[in-house]
Amino acid sequence: MLESTPLVQSTPLVQPAKLGRVAAYEWSHRSAQVFIAAALVFTGVAVFVGDTFFLRLATEALIYAGLAMSVDLLLGVTGMLSLGQALFFGLGSYASTLVLKHVTPSFWVAMAVALAVGTVAGAIGAVLSIRARGVYFALITFGMAQVVSKVVYNTRSIGGSDGIIGIPVIKVNLLLFEVDTASPAGFFLLVLALVMLLYFGLAYLLRTPAGRVLVAVRTNEARVPFLGYQIRNARFLAFVVAADLAAFAGALYPMLRGFVSPELMYFNVSGDAVVTVVIGGLGTLIGPIYGSVVITALKSIIGTYTDHYPIVIGALFMLAVIAFPNGLMGAVDTLRARRKGGSP
Amino acid sequence: MNQETPILEVRDLSVAFGPLVAVDRMSFSAQRGHITSVIGPNGAGKSTLFNLVSGALRPGSGAVLFDGADITRERPDRLVRRGLSRSFQITNLFAELPVVENLRLAAQVLESPWKALLPTSASKRTRDRVEELVERFKLEEKRDERAGFLSHGEQRRLEIAVALAGRPRLLLLDEPTQGMSHGDTLDTAELIRQVAQEASIILIEHDIDLVMNLSDNVVVMHQGRKLAEGPPQEVRGNPVVQAAYFGTQVHAEN
Amino acid sequence: MGALVDYIQFVLVPQVFNGLTIGVAVILIALGLTIIFGLLDVFNMAHGEFYALGAYLGVTLAGRGVSFWLLLLLVPLLLVPVGILVDRALIQRVFHRKERHMLTMLLTFGLAGVMEDVFKAIYGANIIKPATPLTGGIDFLGNYFPTYRVFLLAVGALTIAGVWLVVNKTSFGAMVRAAAFDRQMAASLGVPVRRVYSATFAFGVALAALAGVLLAPLYSVFPTMGKDFILLAFTAVIVGGFGSVRGVVLGGLLLTQIQSLASLYVSPVWGDPIVFGIMVLVLFVRPQGIFGGKLGHA
Repeated sequence: MLESTPLVQSTPLVQPAKLGRVAAYEWSHRSAQVFIAAALVFTGVAVFVGDTFFLRLATEALIYAGLAMSVDLLLGVTGMLSLGQALFFGLGSYASTLVLKHVTPSFWVAMAVALAVGTVAGAIGAVLSIRARGVYFALITFGMAQVVSKVVYNTRSIGGSDGIIGIPVIKVNLLLFEVDTASPAGFFLLVLALVMLLYFGLAYLLRTPAGRVLVAVRTNEARVPFLGYQIRNARFLAFVVAADLAAFAGALYPMLRGFVSPELMYFNVSGDAVVTVVIGGLGTLIGPIYGSVVITALKSIIGTYTDHYPIVIGALFMLAVIAFPNGLMGAVDTLRARRKGGSP
Repeated sequence: MNQETPILEVRDLSVAFGPLVAVDRMSFSAQRGHITSVIGPNGAGKSTLFNLVSGALRPGSGAVLFDGADITRERPDRLVRRGLSRSFQITNLFAELPVVENLRLAAQVLESPWKALLPTSASKRTRDRVEELVERFKLEEKRDERAGFLSHGEQRRLEIAVALAGRPRLLLLDEPTQGMSHGDTLDTAELIRQVAQEASIILIEHDIDLVMNLSDNVVVMHQGRKLAEGPPQEVRGNPVVQAAYFGTQVHAEN
Repeated sequence: MGALVDYIQFVLVPQVFNGLTIGVAVILIALGLTIIFGLLDVFNMAHGEFYALGAYLGVTLAGRGVSFWLLLLLVPLLLVPVGILVDRALIQRVFHRKERHMLTMLLTFGLAGVMEDVFKAIYGANIIKPATPLTGGIDFLGNYFPTYRVFLLAVGALTIAGVWLVVNKTSFGAMVRAAAFDRQMAASLGVPVRRVYSATFAFGVALAALAGVLLAPLYSVFPTMGKDFILLAFTAVIVGGFGSVRGVVLGGLLLTQIQSLASLYVSPVWGDPIVFGIMVLVLFVRPQGIFGGKLGHA
């Protein structure tokens, strides 16, 4: 009925909204540079005053930013709303945990296994879901995460509802030097580097022919086959890469917190990632990173007064959907354009 | 392929939507290097015919041969890769994307799939094609404008350029001058004539003068069937066509 | 032979009956969901939370001495203005945009998060178990059926019949179907489309709230209760075909019976995977649902 897009569909050319960053083939990485600079200053200050709490919190924000980026690739770039992205995040975290605890305390092996798990699970998930569109796709992803989290919850051998604790602290070998995951500043900088790597990797992908087709699918799916591209391939690519991003980010989680639990796959984790992307700015790639920092900060600030920050964040989210469809980054772009006094 | 094989041959093609037979045992062929026009009153089944040929719809029966090869029920993306491309009657562009992006998306099929993960900017073939089209279709000043912000005439030009970007051997143009002013229509006719240098063309058109001027061959459709086929002057003189089409429908449409 | 009769009487019958109660619960929740989607194309992610809202309102009012029987009428009525407000304040604001499916889904998803937390803020995270208004049970052919569950089945059947009548036999239903069929044409025929949208949303939400009141004594009241039946309700709607009353009833019964009977043979852990498997299978084979069609075609 609804989402069964006919192949030939007339798209009335309504005046499109502001040109999103990703729609533009080249966009400035200024926001990314600003972010890196700010993060470095933050690290310096934190080390100077001897903070560990905020460094740990910021590391967590960056890890969740990785998950949010994977949602952005699906929703903001390709136009697929996933409500179960935490599934891959959780799988990545379990894979990394099991490797570190039972196989070898090697960072790189853990990351590689998490990526392999992400790829396989992503391919299976893609086969199950990408034929469906819009609401249906969202419901399948929702269902997938629900089902797998229940299975994990009930599987004693991987800790069941308790999850797994006692993940060892490891040393990350970076050839020239080593970083201890227990070192707040060291691990923060490592995660920062990795997440920015993901950002630049995605930005690169979106400048390749394959990446451009993803953008095209969101913008006007009906025309894409008539340019010579199979939509299923594009959606498959987006889904698997997104699963990899989420698994990659998830693999870092147990190194930070020392435990994993089935809750990492729950709907609220998937939902938070969607909220983060919308607030940060859909289809901007850097928006999810800023969004994650903003939301983590909000949670922590509001959290000192009340436990009920979801009310505030939810309200903010609805406001963003209604009034600021390009989120924080959209607002930044608008301001910047206005200051230049010209075109966006 | 041998020179005599028609670039497109349609054999007994039919499709029905419920009780309505939209295309009814339609047969015709289009010659290589020619401009073949399909005309007929609204609802004659012309656009449905295009949808069948371009893979947007699956025929109930019959066959389509492209350059001698059977392409019935082939997917649209495969057809494009084989050299059969189409434009749309209702502009069907990437409204949020700049003009050059629309063209680049269409032109990058020219590049080897092995380069799918190298930056687009590294593909000289794609880049050159985009620049060439921007110039030929007089879109230089609008190259970085979003397609949705172009004027109607510009969008119609871009629509053709996008369909042409992948260097098709056969180009199906669905009412390229739809909604255009007289002046724009003349310019477009000139463009189509140029395009015909590099691709065979099948054209759906309502502007009879344009059709008579441009076409090597004309196919007349009426109620899903072929009414007549032949060189423009012959078709114009055909009494059946006169009665069914030129006689009444032209007035009704204008 | 006797063993088989015993098996049927003491294993299958209670299980089918149990599945039937859950089936009615799922259908009551899914009815509003499917009606809202059928007309407005809005997939109401907050539907489970409206179900919870109904339950909480019921608990609160019962605490003030309102009788259970009055609640069955009062709570749905109270939800009508809430539904209209949500439609006006949120859904209509993005309704004209191109990606409205996505946007309304996001909005109602955001709303769900807020509502869940509001429940927590007001009532705490504890599980509230309202007293069962009907105690005792009925002996029938050697089987024991709790009275309240029998009552629930009866009310469920009545509600389903009522909804079917409203959609198919009233002038409101006719307007809803007209607007679902062709918004513009309905408007030109003098159907107040916007009001019909609001009313439909409110109607769907009121149904969820009724389900909340009815099911609270059986399944208890807690902030995340909306999530409990939602996968089943979503699937019932998908299997039944969006917008089809008959479809959602058949879909709901089918799913819950499958799940309930399957739990005799495999661990109940597999209940959700089975439901999910059916969802994926149906979307694969028949994206419009098994009994699918536009609103009012059933």
